[in-house]
Amino acid sequence: MKKNYLHAKWLNEEMNEEELAAFQASDDYELYEKIKIYSSQLEVADFNEEKIIQKIISRKKTKTKQITLYTIWFSKIAAILIIVLGLFYSVEKISIVNQITDNGEKRTFLLPDHSEVVLNSGSEVNYKKWNWNTNRELKLNGEAYFAVTKGKKFKVKTKLGIVTVLGTHFNVKTKKNQFNVTCFEGRVKVNYQKAQLILTSGQSVTFENGKQTNTTSQITKPIWIDNQMSFQQEKLTAIITEIEKQYNVTIIIKTKNTENVFSGKIPTNNLDTALQIISTTYNLNYSIAKDQIIFEEK
Amino acid sequence: MLNKTLSETCNEVIFSSFFKSNAKMLRNFLFYKFGNKEKAEDLVQEAFIRLWQNCQDVPIEKAKSYVYTVANNGALNIIAHEKVVLNYSKTTTSRDKTHETPEFILEEKQFKKKLLTAIANLNETQRVAFLMHRIDGKKYIEIAEELNIGIKAVEKRISQALLELRKEINNLK
Repeated sequence: MKKNYLHAKWLNEEMNEEELAAFQASDDYELYEKIKIYSSQLEVADFNEEKIIQKIISRKKTKTKQITLYTIWFSKIAAILIIVLGLFYSVEKISIVNQITDNGEKRTFLLPDHSEVVLNSGSEVNYKKWNWNTNRELKLNGEAYFAVTKGKKFKVKTKLGIVTVLGTHFNVKTKKNQFNVTCFEGRVKVNYQKAQLILTSGQSVTFENGKQTNTTSQITKPIWIDNQMSFQQEKLTAIITEIEKQYNVTIIIKTKNTENVFSGKIPTNNLDTALQIISTTYNLNYSIAKDQIIFEEK
Repeated sequence: MLNKTLSETCNEVIFSSFFKSNAKMLRNFLFYKFGNKEKAEDLVQEAFIRLWQNCQDVPIEKAKSYVYTVANNGALNIIAHEKVVLNYSKTTTSRDKTHETPEFILEEKQFKKKLLTAIANLNETQRVAFLMHRIDGKKYIEIAEELNIGIKAVEKRISQALLELRKEINNLK
Protein backbone atom coordinates (compact mmCIF):
# COMPACT_ATOMS: atom_id res chain seq x y z
CA MET A 1 0.00 0.00 0.00
CA LYS A 2 1.55 3.20 -1.11
CA LYS A 3 0.12 6.06 0.72
CA ASN A 4 1.05 9.66 0.06
CA TYR A 5 0.44 11.91 2.95
CA LEU A 6 -0.52 14.87 0.84
CA HIS A 7 -1.10 17.25 3.70
CA ALA A 8 2.29 16.54 5.13
CA LYS A 9 3.83 17.01 1.71
CA TRP A 10 2.09 20.30 1.32
CA LEU A 11 3.08 21.55 4.74
CA ASN A 12 6.69 20.71 3.97
CA GLU A 13 6.40 22.39 0.57
CA GLU A 14 7.24 19.23 -1.30
CA MET A 15 4.28 19.25 -3.71
CA ASN A 16 4.80 19.56 -7.40
CA GLU A 17 2.84 22.18 -9.29
CA GLU A 18 0.13 19.78 -10.30
CA GLU A 19 -0.46 18.52 -6.79
CA LEU A 20 -0.36 22.03 -5.41
CA ALA A 21 -2.92 23.29 -7.90
CA ALA A 22 -5.25 20.44 -6.99
CA PHE A 23 -4.79 21.07 -3.30
CA GLN A 24 -5.35 24.80 -3.64
CA ALA A 25 -8.63 24.07 -5.38
CA SER A 26 -9.91 22.00 -2.46
CA ASP A 27 -12.56 23.38 -0.06
CA ASP A 28 -10.47 23.77 3.01
CA TYR A 29 -7.35 25.10 1.40
CA GLU A 30 -7.83 28.51 2.93
CA LEU A 31 -8.14 27.03 6.39
CA TYR A 32 -5.02 24.91 5.94
CA GLU A 33 -3.15 27.94 4.73
CA LYS A 34 -4.17 29.81 7.87
CA ILE A 35 -3.11 26.90 10.08
CA LYS A 36 0.22 26.86 8.30
CA ILE A 37 0.80 30.58 8.72
CA TYR A 38 -0.32 30.98 12.27
CA SER A 39 1.26 27.79 13.55
CA SER A 40 4.60 29.07 12.27
CA GLN A 41 4.18 32.13 14.48
CA LEU A 42 3.98 29.99 17.58
CA GLU A 43 6.86 29.96 19.97
CA VAL A 44 7.98 28.56 23.25
CA ALA A 45 9.73 30.81 25.71
CA ASP A 46 13.49 30.61 25.75
CA PHE A 47 15.12 29.08 28.70
CA ASN A 48 18.31 30.07 30.37
CA GLU A 49 20.73 27.71 28.70
CA GLU A 50 23.82 29.45 30.06
CA LYS A 51 22.69 29.06 33.64
CA ILE A 52 21.79 25.42 33.16
CA ILE A 53 25.02 24.46 31.42
CA GLN A 54 27.02 26.06 34.24
CA LYS A 55 24.95 24.13 36.74
CA ILE A 56 25.55 20.87 34.91
CA ILE A 57 29.27 21.32 34.51
CA SER A 58 29.77 22.39 38.12
CA ARG A 59 27.53 19.54 39.23
CA LYS A 60 30.03 17.01 38.01
CA LYS A 61 32.83 18.62 39.94
CA THR A 62 30.92 18.70 43.19
CA LYS A 63 29.72 15.19 42.55
CA THR A 64 33.27 13.93 42.15
CA LYS A 65 34.27 15.72 45.31
CA GLN A 66 31.36 14.18 47.12
CA ILE A 67 32.49 10.75 46.04
CA THR A 68 36.01 11.30 47.33
CA LEU A 69 34.79 12.82 50.57
CA TYR A 70 32.38 10.00 50.99
CA THR A 71 35.06 7.43 50.28
CA ILE A 72 37.46 9.03 52.75
CA TRP A 73 34.72 9.29 55.31
CA PHE A 74 33.80 5.68 54.73
CA SER A 75 37.35 4.42 54.99
CA LYS A 76 37.84 6.45 58.17
CA ILE A 77 34.86 4.75 59.73
CA ALA A 78 36.06 1.39 58.51
CA ALA A 79 39.50 2.02 59.99
CA ILE A 80 38.05 3.11 63.32
CA LEU A 81 35.82 0.06 63.37
CA ILE A 82 38.72 -2.24 62.71
CA ILE A 83 40.78 -0.63 65.46
CA VAL A 84 37.92 -0.76 67.93
CA LEU A 85 37.14 -4.37 67.06
CA GLY A 86 40.82 -5.23 67.30
CA LEU A 87 41.03 -3.59 70.73
CA PHE A 88 37.93 -5.42 71.87
CA TYR A 89 39.37 -8.66 70.68
CA SER A 90 42.77 -8.18 72.26
CA VAL A 91 41.29 -6.89 75.53
CA GLU A 92 39.10 -9.96 75.62
CA LYS A 93 41.97 -12.16 74.72
CA ILE A 94 44.30 -10.59 77.28
CA SER A 95 41.65 -10.47 79.93
CA ILE A 96 40.95 -14.21 79.87
CA VAL A 97 42.44 -15.66 83.02
CA ASN A 98 43.28 -19.32 83.13
CA GLN A 99 43.97 -21.04 86.45
CA ILE A 100 45.14 -24.65 86.31
CA THR A 101 46.20 -26.91 89.13
CA ASP A 102 48.27 -30.02 88.57
CA ASN A 103 47.65 -33.25 90.32
CA GLY A 104 48.67 -32.90 93.95
CA GLU A 105 48.33 -29.13 93.85
CA LYS A 106 45.68 -26.90 95.39
CA ARG A 107 45.40 -23.20 94.78
CA THR A 108 43.46 -20.37 96.34
CA PHE A 109 42.92 -17.18 94.37
CA LEU A 110 40.66 -14.15 94.31
CA LEU A 111 38.43 -13.04 91.47
CA PRO A 112 38.29 -9.31 90.58
CA ASP A 113 35.33 -8.85 92.95
CA HIS A 114 37.27 -10.52 95.78
CA SER A 115 35.25 -13.69 95.56
CA GLU A 116 37.43 -16.54 96.68
CA VAL A 117 38.07 -19.62 94.66
CA VAL A 118 39.87 -22.67 96.01
CA LEU A 119 40.80 -24.90 93.13
CA ASN A 120 41.28 -28.56 93.93
CA SER A 121 43.94 -30.73 92.30
CA GLY A 122 43.81 -31.36 88.56
CA SER A 123 41.21 -28.66 87.91
CA GLU A 124 40.91 -25.69 85.67
CA VAL A 125 39.05 -22.37 85.79
CA ASN A 126 38.65 -19.80 83.00
CA TYR A 127 37.17 -16.37 83.32
CA LYS A 128 37.24 -12.92 81.75
CA LYS A 129 38.80 -10.31 83.98
CA TRP A 130 37.42 -7.55 81.79
CA ASN A 131 33.97 -6.34 82.76
CA TRP A 132 33.91 -8.98 85.48
CA ASN A 133 31.62 -7.13 87.88
CA THR A 134 28.74 -7.06 85.40
CA ASN A 135 29.40 -10.46 83.95
CA ARG A 136 30.45 -12.85 86.66
CA GLU A 137 30.79 -16.05 84.76
CA LEU A 138 33.48 -18.69 84.78
CA LYS A 139 34.13 -22.10 83.36
CA LEU A 140 35.14 -24.93 85.60
CA ASN A 141 36.59 -28.30 84.81
CA GLY A 142 37.25 -30.34 87.95
CA GLU A 143 36.47 -29.24 91.48
CA ALA A 144 36.46 -25.89 93.20
CA TYR A 145 35.09 -24.21 96.28
CA PHE A 146 33.62 -20.74 95.86
CA ALA A 147 33.07 -18.06 98.47
CA VAL A 148 31.19 -15.50 96.39
CA THR A 149 30.84 -11.88 97.49
CA LYS A 150 27.38 -10.41 97.09
CA GLY A 151 26.66 -8.79 93.75
CA LYS A 152 25.32 -9.63 90.32
CA LYS A 153 24.58 -13.20 89.25
CA PHE A 154 27.57 -15.46 89.57
CA LYS A 155 27.65 -18.38 87.15
CA VAL A 156 29.79 -21.46 87.15
CA LYS A 157 29.60 -23.29 83.86
CA THR A 158 30.75 -26.87 83.59
CA LYS A 159 30.46 -29.42 80.83
CA LEU A 160 27.67 -31.11 82.75
CA GLY A 161 25.68 -28.29 84.29
CA ILE A 162 25.46 -24.69 85.37
CA VAL A 163 25.41 -23.29 88.91
CA THR A 164 24.00 -19.83 89.45
CA VAL A 165 24.25 -17.86 92.69
CA LEU A 166 24.07 -14.31 93.97
CA GLY A 167 26.47 -14.48 96.89
CA THR A 168 27.23 -17.60 98.83
CA HIS A 169 29.69 -20.37 99.58
CA PHE A 170 29.50 -23.52 97.59
CA ASN A 171 31.49 -26.32 96.03
CA VAL A 172 31.27 -27.58 92.46
CA LYS A 173 32.81 -30.86 91.38
CA THR A 174 32.80 -32.47 87.96
CA LYS A 175 34.49 -35.68 87.02
CA LYS A 176 33.69 -37.73 83.96
CA ASN A 177 29.92 -38.16 84.24
CA GLN A 178 29.58 -36.94 87.79
CA PHE A 179 28.41 -33.43 88.64
CA ASN A 180 28.25 -32.52 92.30
CA VAL A 181 27.21 -29.24 93.91
CA THR A 182 27.24 -28.58 97.63
CA CYS A 183 25.92 -25.39 99.15
CA PHE A 184 27.43 -24.21 102.43
CA GLU A 185 25.78 -20.84 102.77
CA GLY A 186 22.96 -18.96 101.04
CA ARG A 187 21.17 -20.37 98.01
CA VAL A 188 22.47 -21.97 94.86
CA LYS A 189 20.64 -22.66 91.62
CA VAL A 190 21.74 -25.78 89.78
CA ASN A 191 20.99 -26.58 86.15
CA TYR A 192 21.71 -30.07 84.94
CA GLN A 193 20.46 -31.01 81.51
CA LYS A 194 16.78 -30.01 81.73
CA ALA A 195 16.57 -30.20 85.51
CA GLN A 196 16.78 -27.12 87.71
CA LEU A 197 16.83 -27.05 91.51
CA ILE A 198 17.71 -24.74 94.36
CA LEU A 199 20.07 -25.81 97.12
CA THR A 200 20.15 -24.13 100.50
CA SER A 201 22.96 -24.33 103.05
CA GLY A 202 23.93 -27.85 103.98
CA GLN A 203 22.33 -29.38 100.90
CA SER A 204 24.22 -31.26 98.27
CA VAL A 205 23.22 -32.79 94.98
CA THR A 206 24.99 -35.28 92.76
CA PHE A 207 24.07 -36.11 89.20
CA GLU A 208 25.62 -39.17 87.74
CA ASN A 209 24.63 -40.43 84.30
CA GLY A 210 21.33 -38.60 84.64
CA LYS A 211 20.62 -39.99 88.13
CA GLN A 212 20.03 -37.43 90.89
CA THR A 213 21.09 -37.99 94.52
CA ASN A 214 20.35 -35.45 97.23
CA THR A 215 22.27 -35.46 100.53
CA THR A 216 22.59 -33.12 103.46
CA SER A 217 25.52 -32.49 105.77
CA GLN A 218 26.39 -30.19 108.64
CA ILE A 219 29.87 -29.25 107.41
CA THR A 220 30.53 -25.59 106.66
CA LYS A 221 33.13 -26.03 103.94
CA PRO A 222 34.29 -28.89 101.76
CA ILE A 223 36.56 -31.28 103.56
CA TRP A 224 39.14 -31.24 100.77
CA ILE A 225 39.94 -27.73 101.83
CA ASP A 226 41.01 -29.18 105.15
CA ASN A 227 43.12 -31.71 103.31
CA GLN A 228 40.67 -34.57 103.47
CA MET A 229 38.80 -36.62 100.91
CA SER A 230 35.42 -38.04 101.69
CA PHE A 231 34.04 -41.16 100.04
CA GLN A 232 30.52 -42.47 100.13
CA GLN A 233 30.37 -46.13 99.17
CA GLU A 234 33.01 -45.89 96.48
CA LYS A 235 34.86 -48.73 94.84
CA LEU A 236 38.61 -49.17 95.31
CA THR A 237 39.42 -48.09 91.75
CA ALA A 238 37.62 -44.76 92.24
CA ILE A 239 39.45 -44.16 95.54
CA ILE A 240 42.82 -45.01 93.99
CA THR A 241 42.15 -42.56 91.14
CA GLU A 242 41.48 -39.80 93.67
CA ILE A 243 44.60 -40.58 95.66
CA GLU A 244 46.69 -40.55 92.48
CA LYS A 245 45.24 -37.15 91.63
CA GLN A 246 45.72 -35.65 95.09
CA TYR A 247 49.26 -36.90 95.66
CA ASN A 248 50.33 -36.98 92.02
CA VAL A 249 51.53 -40.56 92.28
CA THR A 250 51.04 -43.74 90.27
CA ILE A 251 49.40 -46.63 92.04
CA ILE A 252 49.24 -50.18 90.78
CA ILE A 253 46.74 -52.60 92.30
CA LYS A 254 47.46 -56.30 92.10
CA THR A 255 44.23 -57.69 93.45
CA LYS A 256 40.92 -58.82 92.03
CA ASN A 257 39.11 -57.73 95.14
CA THR A 258 38.18 -54.21 93.92
CA GLU A 259 34.40 -54.46 94.14
CA ASN A 260 34.11 -53.77 97.86
CA VAL A 261 32.96 -50.26 98.61
CA PHE A 262 34.48 -47.83 101.08
CA SER A 263 32.93 -44.97 103.02
CA GLY A 264 35.07 -42.60 105.03
CA LYS A 265 37.69 -39.91 104.95
CA ILE A 266 41.23 -40.05 103.68
CA PRO A 267 43.78 -37.27 104.28
CA THR A 268 45.23 -35.48 101.27
CA ASN A 269 48.35 -34.19 103.03
CA ASN A 270 49.71 -37.43 104.44
CA LEU A 271 50.41 -40.16 101.88
CA ASP A 272 51.47 -42.74 104.48
CA THR A 273 48.22 -42.42 106.43
CA ALA A 274 46.23 -42.56 103.23
CA LEU A 275 48.00 -45.71 102.07
CA GLN A 276 47.61 -47.31 105.49
CA ILE A 277 43.84 -46.68 105.47
CA ILE A 278 43.55 -48.38 102.09
CA SER A 279 45.78 -51.30 103.00
CA THR A 280 43.93 -51.92 106.28
CA THR A 281 40.46 -51.63 104.78
CA TYR A 282 41.14 -53.86 101.80
CA ASN A 283 43.62 -56.11 103.64
CA LEU A 284 46.48 -55.41 101.24
CA ASN A 285 50.23 -54.87 101.54
CA TYR A 286 51.79 -51.87 99.87
CA SER A 287 55.33 -51.13 98.76
CA ILE A 288 56.90 -48.03 97.28
CA ALA A 289 59.21 -48.70 94.39
CA LYS A 290 60.67 -45.92 92.24
CA ASP A 291 57.73 -43.67 91.36
CA GLN A 292 55.16 -46.37 91.84
CA ILE A 293 53.12 -47.57 94.76
CA ILE A 294 52.10 -51.20 94.51
CA PHE A 295 49.19 -52.76 96.43
CA GLU A 296 49.39 -56.54 96.64
CA GLU A 297 47.32 -59.23 98.29
CA LYS A 298 48.80 -60.50 101.48
CA MET B 1 48.16 3.93 32.55
CA LEU B 2 44.98 4.65 30.64
CA ASN B 3 45.30 3.57 27.06
CA LYS B 4 41.84 4.97 26.41
CA THR B 5 41.78 8.66 25.57
CA LEU B 6 39.23 10.88 27.18
CA SER B 7 35.92 10.79 25.33
CA GLU B 8 35.11 13.94 23.34
CA THR B 9 31.88 14.21 25.26
CA CYS B 10 33.97 14.94 28.36
CA ASN B 11 35.52 17.99 26.73
CA GLU B 12 33.85 21.00 28.29
CA VAL B 13 33.80 23.04 25.06
CA ILE B 14 32.38 20.21 22.97
CA PHE B 15 29.85 19.35 25.66
CA SER B 16 28.73 22.99 25.99
CA SER B 17 28.25 23.43 22.27
CA PHE B 18 26.38 20.14 22.10
CA PHE B 19 24.19 21.35 24.94
CA LYS B 20 23.47 24.68 23.24
CA SER B 21 22.49 23.09 19.96
CA ASN B 22 20.22 20.48 21.52
CA ALA B 23 18.94 21.54 24.92
CA LYS B 24 16.17 23.87 23.77
CA MET B 25 14.92 21.42 21.17
CA LEU B 26 14.80 18.69 23.76
CA ARG B 27 13.01 20.99 26.17
CA ASN B 28 10.47 21.86 23.46
CA PHE B 29 9.94 18.23 22.54
CA LEU B 30 9.23 17.34 26.19
CA PHE B 31 6.99 20.36 26.51
CA TYR B 32 4.94 19.45 23.40
CA LYS B 33 4.57 16.03 24.84
CA PHE B 34 3.63 16.81 28.42
CA GLY B 35 2.61 20.45 28.44
CA ASN B 36 4.63 21.34 31.55
CA LYS B 37 7.51 23.68 30.88
CA GLU B 38 9.17 23.53 34.31
CA LYS B 39 9.16 19.75 34.38
CA ALA B 40 10.46 19.69 30.82
CA GLU B 41 13.37 21.90 31.83
CA ASP B 42 14.11 19.76 34.89
CA LEU B 43 14.17 16.69 32.69
CA VAL B 44 16.52 18.36 30.23
CA GLN B 45 18.84 19.27 33.07
CA GLU B 46 18.74 15.76 34.50
CA ALA B 47 19.38 14.19 31.12
CA PHE B 48 22.38 16.39 30.41
CA ILE B 49 23.76 15.81 33.90
CA ARG B 50 23.55 12.08 33.25
CA LEU B 51 25.33 12.56 29.94
CA TRP B 52 28.03 14.69 31.58
CA GLN B 53 28.57 12.18 34.34
CA ASN B 54 28.75 9.29 31.91
CA CYS B 55 30.60 11.28 29.24
CA GLN B 56 33.34 8.68 29.10
CA ASP B 57 30.88 6.01 27.98
CA VAL B 58 28.80 8.02 25.51
CA PRO B 59 30.47 9.10 22.25
CA ILE B 60 29.35 12.53 21.04
CA GLU B 61 27.65 11.01 17.97
CA LYS B 62 25.36 9.05 20.25
CA ALA B 63 24.84 11.81 22.78
CA LYS B 64 21.68 13.15 21.13
CA SER B 65 19.75 9.91 21.19
CA TYR B 66 21.13 9.35 24.71
CA VAL B 67 19.65 12.57 26.13
CA TYR B 68 16.34 12.04 24.31
CA THR B 69 16.08 8.53 25.69
CA VAL B 70 17.06 9.50 29.22
CA ALA B 71 14.69 12.47 29.30
CA ASN B 72 11.86 10.46 27.81
CA ASN B 73 12.33 7.60 30.25
CA GLY B 74 12.52 10.01 33.17
CA ALA B 75 9.30 11.63 32.01
CA LEU B 76 7.30 8.43 31.75
CA ASN B 77 6.89 8.13 35.46
CA ILE B 78 6.87 11.56 36.92
CA ILE B 79 4.92 13.77 34.57
CA ALA B 80 1.19 14.12 34.56
CA HIS B 81 0.16 15.25 31.13
CA GLU B 82 -1.15 18.78 30.96
CA LYS B 83 -2.64 20.94 28.26
CA VAL B 84 0.04 22.48 26.10
CA VAL B 85 -0.10 26.26 26.40
CA LEU B 86 1.65 28.11 23.60
CA ASN B 87 2.15 31.74 22.68
CA TYR B 88 2.31 33.56 19.38
CA SER B 89 5.44 35.42 18.69
CA LYS B 90 4.81 39.12 19.31
CA THR B 91 7.19 40.26 16.65
CA THR B 92 5.38 38.54 13.83
CA THR B 93 3.19 40.78 11.79
CA SER B 94 0.59 39.91 9.28
CA ARG B 95 1.80 39.46 5.76
CA ASP B 96 -0.52 42.02 4.33
CA LYS B 97 -0.70 45.32 6.16
CA THR B 98 -3.55 46.58 4.03
CA HIS B 99 -5.87 43.94 5.43
CA GLU B 100 -5.49 45.17 8.99
CA THR B 101 -8.98 46.40 9.42
CA PRO B 102 -10.51 46.05 12.88
CA GLU B 103 -12.64 43.20 11.56
CA PHE B 104 -9.62 41.44 10.21
CA ILE B 105 -7.72 41.84 13.49
CA LEU B 106 -10.63 40.47 15.47
CA GLU B 107 -11.04 37.54 13.11
CA GLU B 108 -7.34 36.82 13.26
CA LYS B 109 -7.42 36.88 17.06
CA GLN B 110 -10.31 34.47 17.13
CA PHE B 111 -8.64 32.13 14.69
CA LYS B 112 -5.41 32.11 16.66
CA LYS B 113 -7.34 31.21 19.79
CA LYS B 114 -9.13 28.36 18.01
CA LEU B 115 -5.87 27.08 16.61
CA LEU B 116 -4.33 26.95 20.10
CA THR B 117 -7.30 25.05 21.46
CA ALA B 118 -7.20 22.64 18.54
CA ILE B 119 -3.48 22.01 18.99
CA ALA B 120 -3.97 21.38 22.71
CA ASN B 121 -6.64 18.84 21.82
CA LEU B 122 -4.49 16.92 19.35
CA ASN B 123 -3.28 13.57 20.47
CA GLU B 124 0.24 13.47 21.81
CA THR B 125 2.06 11.89 18.87
CA GLN B 126 0.43 14.17 16.31
CA ARG B 127 1.02 17.26 18.40
CA VAL B 128 4.68 16.47 19.03
CA ALA B 129 5.45 15.90 15.35
CA PHE B 130 3.42 18.90 14.21
CA LEU B 131 4.96 21.34 16.67
CA MET B 132 8.49 20.08 16.05
CA HIS B 133 7.93 20.99 12.44
CA ARG B 134 6.08 24.25 12.93
CA ILE B 135 7.89 25.75 15.92
CA ASP B 136 11.33 24.20 15.77
CA GLY B 137 11.40 24.19 11.98
CA LYS B 138 12.71 20.66 11.86
CA LYS B 139 12.74 18.57 8.72
CA TYR B 140 10.67 15.41 8.71
CA ILE B 141 13.83 13.33 8.63
CA GLU B 142 15.13 15.04 11.78
CA ILE B 143 11.83 14.49 13.55
CA ALA B 144 11.93 10.84 12.53
CA GLU B 145 15.41 10.45 13.99
CA GLU B 146 14.59 12.15 17.23
CA LEU B 147 11.37 10.22 17.74
CA ASN B 148 13.06 7.05 16.63
CA ILE B 149 10.39 6.36 14.00
CA GLY B 150 10.31 6.17 10.18
CA ILE B 151 9.86 9.21 7.98
CA LYS B 152 6.55 7.85 6.66
CA ALA B 153 5.28 7.69 10.22
CA VAL B 154 6.17 11.36 10.64
CA GLU B 155 4.33 12.28 7.45
CA LYS B 156 1.35 10.28 8.62
CA ARG B 157 1.29 12.05 11.97
CA ILE B 158 1.62 15.49 10.34
CA SER B 159 -1.17 14.77 7.87
CA GLN B 160 -3.42 13.45 10.61
CA ALA B 161 -2.62 16.50 12.70
CA LEU B 162 -3.68 18.82 9.86
CA LEU B 163 -6.91 16.89 9.29
CA GLU B 164 -7.65 16.95 13.01
CA LEU B 165 -6.93 20.66 13.28
CA ARG B 166 -9.24 21.42 10.39
CA LYS B 167 -11.98 19.35 11.95
CA GLU B 168 -11.55 20.95 15.38
CA ILE B 169 -11.45 24.50 14.03
CA ASN B 170 -14.55 23.90 11.93
CA ASN B 171 -16.30 22.49 14.97
CA LEU B 172 -15.33 25.52 17.02
CA LYS B 173 -17.07 27.88 14.65
